[in-house]
Amino acid sequence: MPGFITKAGLLLTNFKTYNLPNGIRFHLYPTEKFKTLVFSVFLHQNLRRELAAPTALLPYVLERGTGKWPTTRELAKAMEELYGADILTDIVKRGERHVLQFMLEIVNPLFVPGEENLEEKGLEVLKEVLSNPLLEEGRFKESYVKREKELLKNRIEGLINDKVSYALERCIQEMCREEKYGVYRLGQLEDLEKINSQNLYEYYQDVLARAPMDVFVLGKIDAQEILPLIEKAFDFKREDLWEIDPTQIYREVQEPRYVEERLEVSQGKLTLGYRTNTAVTDDDFYPLLFYNGILGAFPHSKLFQNVREKASLAYYANSRLERNKGIMLIASGIEINNYDKALKIIQEQVSSLKEGDITSYELESTRVGLINQVRVSEDNPYQIINRHLGGIIGGRQESIQEIIEQLKGVTREDVVRVAEKIKLDTIYFLRNKG
Amino acid sequence: MTIIAHRQVENDILKEKVFAYTLYPGLELFILPKKGYNKKYASFATKFGSIDSKFKLRGGEEKNLEVPDGVAHFLEHKLFEEERGNVFDEFSRLGASANAYTNFTMTNYLFSTADNFEECFDLLIDFVQNPFFNEESVEKEKGIIEQEILMYQDNPNWRLFFNLLGALYNLHPVRKDIAGTVESINMIDKNILYKCYETFYHPSNMALFVVGDLDPEKIKERVVKNLEEKNYSFMGEIERIYPEEPLQVKERIVKDKMEVSQHLLNLGFKDREVGFAGRKLFKKELVTDLLLEIILGRSSELYDRLYEEGLINESFGASFVAEKDYSYVIMGGETPDPDRLYSSLLTGIKEYQEKGIDGEDFKRQQRRILGEFLRNFNSLEFIANNFLAYYFRGINFFDYVEVLLEIKEEEVMERLKELFQEDFHACSIIYSEK
Repeated sequence: MPGFITKAGLLLTNFKTYNLPNGIRFHLYPTEKFKTLVFSVFLHQNLRRELAAPTALLPYVLERGTGKWPTTRELAKAMEELYGADILTDIVKRGERHVLQFMLEIVNPLFVPGEENLEEKGLEVLKEVLSNPLLEEGRFKESYVKREKELLKNRIEGLINDKVSYALERCIQEMCREEKYGVYRLGQLEDLEKINSQNLYEYYQDVLARAPMDVFVLGKIDAQEILPLIEKAFDFKREDLWEIDPTQIYREVQEPRYVEERLEVSQGKLTLGYRTNTAVTDDDFYPLLFYNGILGAFPHSKLFQNVREKASLAYYANSRLERNKGIMLIASGIEINNYDKALKIIQEQVSSLKEGDITSYELESTRVGLINQVRVSEDNPYQIINRHLGGIIGGRQESIQEIIEQLKGVTREDVVRVAEKIKLDTIYFLRNKG
Repeated sequence: MTIIAHRQVENDILKEKVFAYTLYPGLELFILPKKGYNKKYASFATKFGSIDSKFKLRGGEEKNLEVPDGVAHFLEHKLFEEERGNVFDEFSRLGASANAYTNFTMTNYLFSTADNFEECFDLLIDFVQNPFFNEESVEKEKGIIEQEILMYQDNPNWRLFFNLLGALYNLHPVRKDIAGTVESINMIDKNILYKCYETFYHPSNMALFVVGDLDPEKIKERVVKNLEEKNYSFMGEIERIYPEEPLQVKERIVKDKMEVSQHLLNLGFKDREVGFAGRKLFKKELVTDLLLEIILGRSSELYDRLYEEGLINESFGASFVAEKDYSYVIMGGETPDPDRLYSSLLTGIKEYQEKGIDGEDFKRQQRRILGEFLRNFNSLEFIANNFLAYYFRGINFFDYVEVLLEIKEEEVMERLKELFQEDFHACSIIYSEK
C-alpha cells in the first residue's frame, strides 16, 4: 500500500545529509535499484562574465593529469581498470549560478565478484582529479593549460555548429544581454586569452577552498562504510565560503525586441524569449509548469498541435522553461518564407492561454504528463541527484510525494493567472543569407 | 495453439531474466521484470528500415516493387494516425510519453509510463496493428517531414556521415538518408504505404519487448488474446531485394563545405566480411569494438599523439556497424587540419598492423567494455531497444558478456590486419566556410 508508506514518511526523501568538518555538504542515497554507484561533486560559483571562462576551463585541465596519474593516458587507463569508470564533467548554468560538476559512475561491486574496494578506488580517482592536480613549479602544467585553452576556444566557437542549440543560446544572449544570465556557460574568447597556468591555478585554489560544495553518493552503500571514506577523500582545507547572489527573476518588458541573424542555413529557426516573472519559490511555480506544459512541452500541447499537426509548418515546435531564471523559450524550425505565418500561429497560442482557452483535455493531460515525469525520474540516478541539487539551488526542497500533491491541486484559474504575468521579450530569427 | 515456443533466458552476471515467447503467427515477445522501477517501457518493432526499398509483393501479384526512399520513416509518422484521431494524444491523456524511430533496418514504436500501463500497452499494440492512411493526411505530412529533412541537412555531422556512406557504397541503399529526400517523399502516396505495411508489419516480422516492474504471465496473456482477435494467417519469409554491392568503394574522398567553426573529418573502412548473422556476427562486432578501443580509444597511443599534436579533440571517436549485408567502421571528429589527420590516421593504423597490439591493453579494454555494458543496464530503454535490434540480427543480446569474454587476443590482431586495408577506405571532409 503506497499510501501507507508515504504517510509513515519512509519514502518522503531518501537522502540523508551530513555536514563534513570542513563545511562540505554530503548527501547519501542508499538504494539497491541500480547496477552502479554514482559519486557526484558540485561546486557553486556566481555566473559572471569574467569568471565564466576560467570556471569552464578548470575541469578540462583537472582531467588532464594528477599527482598519481600525471598523464592523461595514465588517468584514462586507471579508470578503464575500474571497469570503465567514467568521469563526466560539465559546466552548467542554473539561474545566475555557474555549477561545476564532476560525476563518477562505477559498476556496483555486486556484479563483478572478486573485485575489492571498488568504491574506495573510485573515490580515489575523484579525489585525485578534484584536489591533486599535476603541478609544475607550483602551478598547473603549462602545456596542459595551453592545449585546453585552444580546445575550449574551439568549443566556444563550435556553438554555431548545431543550429538548433545555437538559436536557443543566441536568443538567451540577446534577451539577457544586460543581465548576468546572458553570459555563455563556456565564457568568452577575450577572457579566455587572459588565462595562464599561474592565474588559473590561483583561481582553482580559491574555488576549492571557498566554493559551496555538495557531494552526492547514490547506490548500494552503507552510511557507516562510506562516511569515513568520504571524509578522507574530501579532507582538503576550506575557508569561508563565498556568497552566491540571488538570480534576477522579475523584469518589466516595454516593447518586444526583434533580432535577426543570417547564416548559411536551409531551415529558419524561430525562437521567442518570454519573461515568466515567476520564481521556483513562488506559489505560482507549479501553475507555471502547467502553463508551459499546455503551451509546448508535450505532443498534446498547443504548439505541437497547431504549428506542426494542423499547419504542417514545422517538424518541431515546443516551449521550455529555464526554471531557475524564470524565462521561457519557444523554438521552432521552419521554412524561411513561413516566418509570418508561424509567428502568428505561435502568438495566437500564447494569447489563447491568457484568455483561458484551455480544454480539460489539455489541462488533465498536462497533469498526468507532469506527474509521470516526476515518477519516472526516480529510475535514473542522475535525475535523482539532479532533483535534490535543484532543491538546494532553488530553495525549494520537496519530496516526490509533495510535488505530486501540488501538481494535483493546480486549476485552470491558476494557469490563467500565471499567463497574465508572461511577457514576450525577444523574437530571434535565424535565417539564410542573401 | 497460440504459444509456439517459450523459454527463459537468464544471465548470472547481469542478474536479470528475460521471458521469451514465440506467439502465433510468429511474433516474438520478450518480457524483462525490473523490480522497484516506477517506469514501464514497451517497444514494438518491425524489421523494416530505410534500406528495405525493394521487395517482392505477396498475395495476388507476385512481382517486385521498388518504393521511394524514405517510405519506412514516412509510414512511421503516419501509423500514429487512426480514424478517430492521433494516437499521440491518447498516450498524452494517459500521462505516457510515446515515440517512434526509424533507422536503416528497423522501425520501433515505444512508450514509457509510470501509471496506466495496461491501457497504454493495449493502445501501442493496437495502433501498430491498425493502419489508417488517407490521401489528405499523407499530403499534409509531407510538409512536416520536409522540415525534418531540412533540419538534418543543416546538421554537419549528419551530412559528414552520409557523405561518407555515399563514398563507401556504390549501390546499397545504406548510402541514402533514412528520411529520403524532399523529391522522394513527394512521390509517396497512400497505396505505397499500404503495400509496405502489408509486407512488413505482419507479426512474424515483428518483435515486442516489455520491461518494468510487471508480471510476465499477465502480459503474455494480454498479447495472446490481442493476436487471437486479429485472426492472422501464417506468412512466409519476406523477400528483400538488395543490389549486388561491389567490394570496392565508390569514391576515395568526398568534400563539402558548411558554416561550421572547425573542419570535420570522417574516415571509413568498408568491411568485406559480410553475409552472415547470428552469433558469428555478434563475435565480429565485439572483436572489432575491442580493437577500436585498443587502437583509437582515450588511452591509446594514437589518440594520445593526435591529441597532443592538436589534430583531434574530445569529439574524436570510432564506431563499428555490423549488419548482415553491410558493415563498416568510422572514425573521426573535428580537426584544424583534415589532410594531416587523414594521413596520420592511415599511418597510425599501419603502424599498429606492423607492431601488433599490447596484451595489457587488450585485457583492460575487455574490462572496460564489460563495465560499460553493465552500467547501461540501469536504463530500461537501453535494454529494450538493444535487445530488439540484436534480435533482428539473429543475436541474443544477453550473450554479450559470454561472447566478450571468449574473445582472444589473436582474434583481435587478425581483425586489425584484415579490416584496415587501404584499398577499402573512403574519407569525408567538411570544410569550415570561415
